[in-house]
Amino acid sequence: MESLVLALFVCLVLALITKYLSIPAIPFYILAGVILGKAGGGMLTTNEISHFFSEMGLIFLLFFMGLGLKPERIASNRTAVLASGIIDLNINMIIGFAAAYLLGFSLMESVIIASAFYISSTAMALTSLIENRKLMLRESDTVIWLMVFEDLVLIIFLAIISAGNQNLVFFLIKILAVLGVLYALAHYGKEFLVSILDRDDELPILFTFAAVLITASFALYLGVPETMMVIALGVAFATTDPDAFEQHARPFKDVFLVVFFVFFGVTVDFSGGANWFVIGAISILAVVSKLISGLLTGMFIHGSALSGLEIWANTIARGEFSIALAVIYGSPVVGTTIAAMVIVTSIVGSFVAKYSGILRRGIVSHGRHRALRRGH
Amino acid sequence: MALRSLNLPGVGTKYEFETDKGDTVAIFFTKTGIIQMYTLQKGCKTPSAAEMSPVEARRLGNILTGAIIEADQESVEIAFSALADLRITIHTFFVTPAVVGKTIEDLQIRAKTGATVIAVCRHDRNIINPPPTFAFEEGDAALVIGESDQIKTFEREIMVN
Repeated sequence: MESLVLALFVCLVLALITKYLSIPAIPFYILAGVILGKAGGGMLTTNEISHFFSEMGLIFLLFFMGLGLKPERIASNRTAVLASGIIDLNINMIIGFAAAYLLGFSLMESVIIASAFYISSTAMALTSLIENRKLMLRESDTVIWLMVFEDLVLIIFLAIISAGNQNLVFFLIKILAVLGVLYALAHYGKEFLVSILDRDDELPILFTFAAVLITASFALYLGVPETMMVIALGVAFATTDPDAFEQHARPFKDVFLVVFFVFFGVTVDFSGGANWFVIGAISILAVVSKLISGLLTGMFIHGSALSGLEIWANTIARGEFSIALAVIYGSPVVGTTIAAMVIVTSIVGSFVAKYSGILRRGIVSHGRHRALRRGH
Repeated sequence: MALRSLNLPGVGTKYEFETDKGDTVAIFFTKTGIIQMYTLQKGCKTPSAAEMSPVEARRLGNILTGAIIEADQESVEIAFSALADLRITIHTFFVTPAVVGKTIEDLQIRAKTGATVIAVCRHDRNIINPPPTFAFEEGDAALVIGESDQIKTFEREIMVN
């Protein structure tokens, strides 16, 4: 219990500081876990309670992702989503996989690292667009849809990986069946759900919490991983009143996810056996590879490399989903590598996103300068 | 004048609006509750932005509809474009000594001005649709509805008289 109280207190202080400075909090939550965990003489240790909180954090994160995923919306924006999404997916997956494999990770580990390497932090990208007042830029739309595409890829990826040794076709049918049942429940119970969500008492929040937990625990019986179950629940609930569900699930997600980040940090061990060359190489490549995909997307979609720079600035940061992948599938070494990558990219990303305007103006005026000199 | 609205996943709702002269105004209602307004001058590349709380945004909206806003008196104008551009103004007035102790009937508000008193706020309590026999007291705030000319007449004829 003391561990959890200490973790919550540290997070509260960190949240206050980072919000005040308007920088992303996720890397600092992880760092706090690292420092107070193994590296800091074990002031924080994982136990049953922290484990439960962390698992809740993961489940609510994925439930939220499902809620935000509205299939019909993606279908209506297919071209915008597809073009940028495919560039982003190919470039980053390939660079991430090649780098990890060449640096000596096993095939499976490389796949996990490549995925964590590929998926930018939706939370940090969207916060950065709002806080840096960039929503009106045309690149913002591209970034927002890119995040939607990445979420979709993550789900497909989770489905494939978690199938494990099962027959993939059979496994996918099982997931679709679960999704179908949940969809039908949401569809036929829509009036009931909405009537519950409209109430002012404890019922809406209790219902949301219970629905997510019960669905997750059913996973055991169905042989479908709970990650897929809660995403499916989110997607099904999104057809009723997603805003109300978001509102009622948010308190759980916010608290549990913070604990999740800290105790992920606790499991990370930079002291023993960490290969700093590998960690550094992956972290730097993570920044560079998004630059390549960003520039290509900018040139392809907006016809301008400068637009690409803006897209890059807002997608550098890796975060919650990369960590989720590390927690679900990663070995300790993979976890440490991903932790370092998240810390480096999210800090670099937040600064580049803040000053991208200056960067763009600098490049433009430099270009003009050169053109003028050439003219003389 | 073209108005587009767009739902941005994870962010909120965007309204974008281009004026006849080519300037663009974009408004974002974000999920966090804050409202951001961007303006982009024609031919300019970097927009400027203002961030507002919902209360501030409503205040700005009132100013933009052309309603008069004073320090403690406030009015809202609602335009119904579908009904031959019907514009209705709701204005708050703090009662003046001229009306204290008089009833709505005594003052002949409807006959003289065409405006209607739809609510009175007295000691933090609201009296909706006061009857003609309702008498004003000191400290009351009256909510008056009518066309903007009728509101001006009300202010001139009833409150100052």
